[in-house]
Amino acid sequence: MQKLVVIGAGMASGRLLEHLFDAAPGAFDVTLFNAEPRGNYNRLMLSPVLSGEKSYGEIITHDDDWYAGNTVTCRFGEKIDGIDRARKVVLSAQGETPYDKLIIATGSNPFIIPLPGHTLPGVISYRDLDDTNAMIETSATPGARAVVIGGGLLGLEAAAGLRMRGMEVTVLHNTGHLMERQLDAAAGYLLRRDLEARGINVITQAQTQSIEGNGHVARVMLVDGTELPCELVVMAVGIRPSVQLAKDAGLDVGRAITVDAQMQTSDPDVYALGECVEFAGTLFGLVAPLYDQAKVLAKTLTDQEDAFTVKELATKLKVTGCDLFSAGDFAEGADREDIVFRDPGRGVYKRLVLKDDHLIGAVMYGDTADGSWFFGLIKDATDVSDMRDTLIFGPAYQGGATADPLSAVAALPADAEICGCNGICKGQIVSAIKGGAHTLGDIRATTKASGSCGTCTGLVEQVLAVTLGDDFVMPTSQPVCKCTEFTHEDVRLLIKTKELKSQPAVWQELGWTTPNGCHVCRPAINFYLLADWPLEYQDDPQSRFVNERNHANIQKDGTYSVMPRMWGGITTPTELRAIADAADKYNVPTVKVTGGQRIDLLGVKKEDLPGMWFDLNAAGMVSGHAYSKGLRTVKTCVGTDHCRFGTQDSTGLGIKLEKLLWGSWTPHKVKLAVSGCPRNCAEATCKDVGIICVDSGYQVGVGGAAGMDLKETERLCDVPTEEEALEVTAAFVQIYRENAKYLDRPYKWIAKVGLDWVKERVVDDLENRRALVARFDLSQTIYRKDPWAPLAAKADTFAPLADLTLEAAE
Amino acid sequence: MDTLMETPVRTFVDVMEIWVPEGDRLVPGGGHYGTLSAFAEASRKTSFARGEGLPGKAWAEERPIVLKAFEGSYFLRTDAAKEAGLTSAVAIPVFAGRTLKAVLVVLCSDDADRYGAIEVWAESDGILSLQDGYYGAAKQFEEISQRTTFKRGQGLPGSVWSSKTPILMRDLGLGYGFMRAESAGKIGLNTGLGLPVPVPNGTTYALTLLTASGTPIARRFEIWDARTAKVGSSGKAVLSDGICARSGPLWNFETDRMVAPWQGPVGRALASGLPVIDTGAGAAGYASMVALPIHRGAELAHIVAWYC
Repeated sequence: MQKLVVIGAGMASGRLLEHLFDAAPGAFDVTLFNAEPRGNYNRLMLSPVLSGEKSYGEIITHDDDWYAGNTVTCRFGEKIDGIDRARKVVLSAQGETPYDKLIIATGSNPFIIPLPGHTLPGVISYRDLDDTNAMIETSATPGARAVVIGGGLLGLEAAAGLRMRGMEVTVLHNTGHLMERQLDAAAGYLLRRDLEARGINVITQAQTQSIEGNGHVARVMLVDGTELPCELVVMAVGIRPSVQLAKDAGLDVGRAITVDAQMQTSDPDVYALGECVEFAGTLFGLVAPLYDQAKVLAKTLTDQEDAFTVKELATKLKVTGCDLFSAGDFAEGADREDIVFRDPGRGVYKRLVLKDDHLIGAVMYGDTADGSWFFGLIKDATDVSDMRDTLIFGPAYQGGATADPLSAVAALPADAEICGCNGICKGQIVSAIKGGAHTLGDIRATTKASGSCGTCTGLVEQVLAVTLGDDFVMPTSQPVCKCTEFTHEDVRLLIKTKELKSQPAVWQELGWTTPNGCHVCRPAINFYLLADWPLEYQDDPQSRFVNERNHANIQKDGTYSVMPRMWGGITTPTELRAIADAADKYNVPTVKVTGGQRIDLLGVKKEDLPGMWFDLNAAGMVSGHAYSKGLRTVKTCVGTDHCRFGTQDSTGLGIKLEKLLWGSWTPHKVKLAVSGCPRNCAEATCKDVGIICVDSGYQVGVGGAAGMDLKETERLCDVPTEEEALEVTAAFVQIYRENAKYLDRPYKWIAKVGLDWVKERVVDDLENRRALVARFDLSQTIYRKDPWAPLAAKADTFAPLADLTLEAAE
Repeated sequence: MDTLMETPVRTFVDVMEIWVPEGDRLVPGGGHYGTLSAFAEASRKTSFARGEGLPGKAWAEERPIVLKAFEGSYFLRTDAAKEAGLTSAVAIPVFAGRTLKAVLVVLCSDDADRYGAIEVWAESDGILSLQDGYYGAAKQFEEISQRTTFKRGQGLPGSVWSSKTPILMRDLGLGYGFMRAESAGKIGLNTGLGLPVPVPNGTTYALTLLTASGTPIARRFEIWDARTAKVGSSGKAVLSDGICARSGPLWNFETDRMVAPWQGPVGRALASGLPVIDTGAGAAGYASMVALPIHRGAELAHIVAWYC
């Protein structure tokens, strides 16, 4: 009988022993060491033990009877200190144990981020039953709080379990969405939504600074200053193969213990399996390959032929009520094609990634019934070209299932506001429809919904369609792009109504047909989100037009123009010298005075941009945003300072307006002018906002244009003071930001909603005006910043942006 | 299996019965009455209009109802119940969307050492609090429960609420972060089944059955997942969790256990969407079992089964 010593009584070695005893009962005299004071249990089920949904007794794989029945000598709680390969013995505190064949199955160790305070009591990893029991013990304190560092599989299962135990739980994750290795952003969004619905606080893009406490953990500090009081910190940021024993024994170790396809290490009498091995450059963390390894090694030990191969893996999360599935490769790529299905009402998202007529990846959330089938197609490399059109519907597709474009509206609750102008909710509209209002006109007459600015017309029609079914014929309207059937106006309203605060939220809740939108919709959605949720939403540079990404206007020869801001068109000799120096230094071929009273440096090479910005910043100048859908310029005349006809300080007002409005993003570019008298030298009557100073005050006009269309401003109001002129202008810009379709200049937007609608809200309703100004000011706390500054500081290391998959182009 | 003990004991529930709508009344749809044949006979002759009696009230008010005293109440079979020693009842309406499929009624008798809990938790202002419950002799636990509330995701009721899923919890007396745990442990409450009770008006209700080994509500629990999002269009259901005093854990980490429509009592509940009570072979060797369907909208989502 061969002496077989096994180091580690985990799931891999446990499965090995099962195969071994089946194949060759009595052939081996097995001694099983385990550092843990217990035998093999299903470690993957620790999360349900933590949550209380399983007991430890249920997850024991091999109990004392099993070991005794197979005459395994159990040395549990006994750590192996060394391996003497020459003498073929393992060394422990109890002495030497000889072997003929040795199996190393030491598994892995949790990775602990060496943050300040990581050794404090109360900071634990999540790896074994002892960790689980420690968490259960801490959760027994009423009101106890936990911070889980790591939003991967293990961290989220820990968080869900601790929450079920009654704790207040915060999950910190350092990337943009949870489980980013297994899920794409859309599925990550749904998972986050589900976890937050359980009362779990999720912070993504979190940078942990330190763990603090006096003798015991008391709080976690983030780099941004956020303080998270807690009694427990769970580190679940990954594992590292446990290889020290093998390394000390002189076995070949790369990232883990190197094995061949028979699980043999560099020593022919020593084998290894599980999380501690590396095979063909691959490490292992999921159970399926470990079981494959066990099968192969059992055959190897019983002189049968077999070879381990790396296979595709699928992921499942063990949080009751969270149904997710992912398998294969779902990264985006030019050579790949996505098929996306979303059902916002049911919280379902499915995405298949195809390459060369083969399914290479699948991500599913909310409906995982076909996960195994898709996984099989991936593993078998099945040619799916014949079922391409119906693939997303799974194997049971009968030809009738299609995505319902109205499902997002159908899913709206009755109290969801549809018409913001008149405060009409979906439930009121549905009641009106049930009361006999079957046309848009009827709805307007009975509820006033869509009767004011009209931007909610599309949504009201969709409510009619959802409620009346085939009895209502939807008028055709222009959707944002091919990714959606919603119009811009619909999307804007739904972002507000459903409180959608991220792009994945929009894609999912509004049933986008593409994984991440396209070059048409992304800039619009990015703007709508940042305009509506300035604090919550993080601007996405990847969703901006190339000029806005580069903070400069690209010219037809590929060079850029650089235009620093000159407040109100006023400059100084110092600024002019700095501009001249920059023009000389970077060999700028053309220096042009613009119609907006600025100086434009044309023909700047891309690699010179940061350096030029740096120099201009040093002279006190900031970006003129000549490239942006935002405030461009405020043109002024000299006003009362110099002009004989000036009635007010038009230059001063222009400077104040520009300093108030700069940096704000708007649906399209916004140009202003202030003329000091009705002679209108600043040409204010063809601007988006034009102010004419008169003896009695300020005439504020809006909606002018002097481009492809030529249009004179319409009078918004007359105000007696400069303060009111500033307030009305800010309110107007904000109401335009909040309501206009992306790429509609103000004059086009006003033509849709009517100037009276604007006046009612900006001029007549003082409370509303101030609320608009307050929201504008809030947004400006985020966006009134020079975009050049952070990039200019990195001038020496600047490199052009990489090519982007979704190249937005103006 | 130490969570559910297989010991010869009296059960916590004496009677289980199903009432199904027929026209404008609820009529008997099966039941388990044990030795209480007179009460069974009285029940067989009874039907309830909407709003009438306990089943009719659960139908009309569209909510689970706990009734702890029959005398002088709207309970129609008071005399028969009194004769049978029954003192309390819980009515659980089964709705599929707006349609009432059935009302399940469980009846219990008071006993100085009969411990257990059947609780109805209701959500209001973002907090789940006890609407009512029947606890037998577990008076202290009842008092603590009345003072206890749950947020989303916390404890058994809060987890059922946030996941919209039935949940089976073990070791109730161990380490839970709320006062109920210690009290539950003292009286031997060790296993809890929580399930959502969907109603047409959208109010969140969670029903919990907390069982003690001495006087168990059940000795075997099963949770079956029938959502198409989980099992596709097969019409089958998959066992997502289960535990049995005799067989130990019923779940299997590597193999899914499925049930087909009409296959056994769970299959009958799956196919019909109606609760099923079985006292024969389908009760897996126990005296009786009930399979209770739970719908999400109009679709059957889960079936919970308990055996005693």
